[in-house]
Amino acid sequence: MRLLSIAAALALLATPALAEKTSLSVLKLASSGPVFLAQDLGHFAAEGLEVEFKFFAAAQPVAVAVVSGDAEFGVTGLTAGFYNLAGKGALKIIAGQSREQPGYKLSAYMVSNQAFAAGVRSPADFGGRSFAMTQVGSTFHYMIGLLAEKKGFDLSKNRLLALQSIPNMVSALQGGQADTAILPSTVAVPMMDRGDAKIVGWAGDETPWQLGALFTSPKMIDTKKATVERFVRAYKKGVAAYDLAFQKKGDQAATDKALDILARYTEQQKGAIAAGLPYIEPEARFSARDIAKQVAYWQAQGQADKSIEAKDIVVTTFVSSID
Amino acid sequence: MMAPLRFRGGGFTIQPKRHTGWIAGLAVIAIWQGASSAGWVSPIFLPSPAGIAQALADMALSGQLWRHLAASLKRIVAGFVLGGSAGLAIGLALGLLSHVRAAGLPIISALFPIPKIALLPLFILWFGIGEPSKVATIALGVFFPMAIATYSGVDQVPRTLIRMAQSFDVPALAIVGKVILPGALPGILAGVRISASIGLVLVVAAEMIGAEFGVGAYILTAGNLMRTEDLLAGVCLLSVLGITVGFAVSAAERRLLGWRQ
Repeated sequence: MRLLSIAAALALLATPALAEKTSLSVLKLASSGPVFLAQDLGHFAAEGLEVEFKFFAAAQPVAVAVVSGDAEFGVTGLTAGFYNLAGKGALKIIAGQSREQPGYKLSAYMVSNQAFAAGVRSPADFGGRSFAMTQVGSTFHYMIGLLAEKKGFDLSKNRLLALQSIPNMVSALQGGQADTAILPSTVAVPMMDRGDAKIVGWAGDETPWQLGALFTSPKMIDTKKATVERFVRAYKKGVAAYDLAFQKKGDQAATDKALDILARYTEQQKGAIAAGLPYIEPEARFSARDIAKQVAYWQAQGQADKSIEAKDIVVTTFVSSID
Repeated sequence: MMAPLRFRGGGFTIQPKRHTGWIAGLAVIAIWQGASSAGWVSPIFLPSPAGIAQALADMALSGQLWRHLAASLKRIVAGFVLGGSAGLAIGLALGLLSHVRAAGLPIISALFPIPKIALLPLFILWFGIGEPSKVATIALGVFFPMAIATYSGVDQVPRTLIRMAQSFDVPALAIVGKVILPGALPGILAGVRISASIGLVLVVAAEMIGAEFGVGAYILTAGNLMRTEDLLAGVCLLSVLGITVGFAVSAAERRLLGWRQ
């Protein structure tokens, strides 16, 4: 009895003392679901990690926070800016996050009412039309590039409008200042419902690609490899929980619970989250070939430095590549 | 017999020192370059002056520099002329007419602190994404400081001068032209100095709206792509524009305010 209580007291003392503090920069989006699940279901704690979330509003600062040392890990979408930082030896991709995948309604091709009336009825009609996006080098910019490649239109004939923020894009599309845009489903579906613009397709159906990744600094891999390994193990359990809840969908109770957790972390309505959940590879793997393709695309566009080698950016020792 | 007193005045008089400014500036750049070359500062966090100069040279050689500068200057000049002249007119009215002042000052106080960037989505709806929304952003930013500087400049004209002119039965319009405007000119020129700099600040905000060319668009793109050399090269261009504006206003002050000596 006495021994038992000592053991219990020791266990109580031991758990917090052993927990290693680490930090993760992240967006409050459903695509970050696996890390929220890993945190809430105790997978990080089980690996002896106490993870502090640092929330940002855009993909760029998430990557910058890891470079500046404000966070040890980051998880977000891959942009030309990310590759320029990674190319200077500041970031390494260690696991996969969201993918654009057929059947997953993540990013919508949108057309303004005026352009729709003028005959822009499908993604194939996007050639030569003005296109609203957030920034040069953003994931939206890449997706219109992929679409141009697939449908065979010359992107240099499109007027690309970098409007810096999603509200500005919505405004431009509403007013007919921009003919087309790609918007996240959480924004696109309400716009369509209000009759402000038309959805004519989904990027996942047309051009699947590796949208997001988990990354860290090379210094972390060199000096705290065990921490990285434990972090990735817990992350993979979060991804598995995400897969079970939203992709395998066998267990309704697990789905409801996961949706509750995501709603709490992202501060969004459950309905909006459920409608726009991205695909995440069940074992958190990523496509190194797709990363190389992205780097080559940005280099060809002059948005990424020619010196960047895709193979130096990815590390496949923690999670293997799909290809 | 008392020894003559040593002259003790003039201790804190500021003398013009022609070379000190240049030497200080060059010393800062030299230390910065030295720290970069020695590897104390990572190029990710702070690019070297040589890297920035290289980025500027690349831009100049490719012809992009003039394209960016021309696009921005057009917007700045148009916005400054529109916003500045409106500010001057409203500021004069605020300073001279009691009703306008009673009605206008609260409105100006209410509208001045609105961040122009917060209005960008509205500007897109009102003015579109072409030149008008960019010029409007700059004009709006220039208008308020100009109106306030003009108003307070008019307010500070010595009352005694105005009353003297009135007692000589000078017509009201002539008082405005010959007493109030010259008297308010130092304040108005200070307003020009401030609002021109604000115009330069706002060119970055204005070019957030779908601009392909312009110094602001160049800075934004460089930031989005995490190209820190290009980013600082663009910032240098803005600084050079700022210095140029400063010199121009100083020259105008010497010319227009010479009567004060």
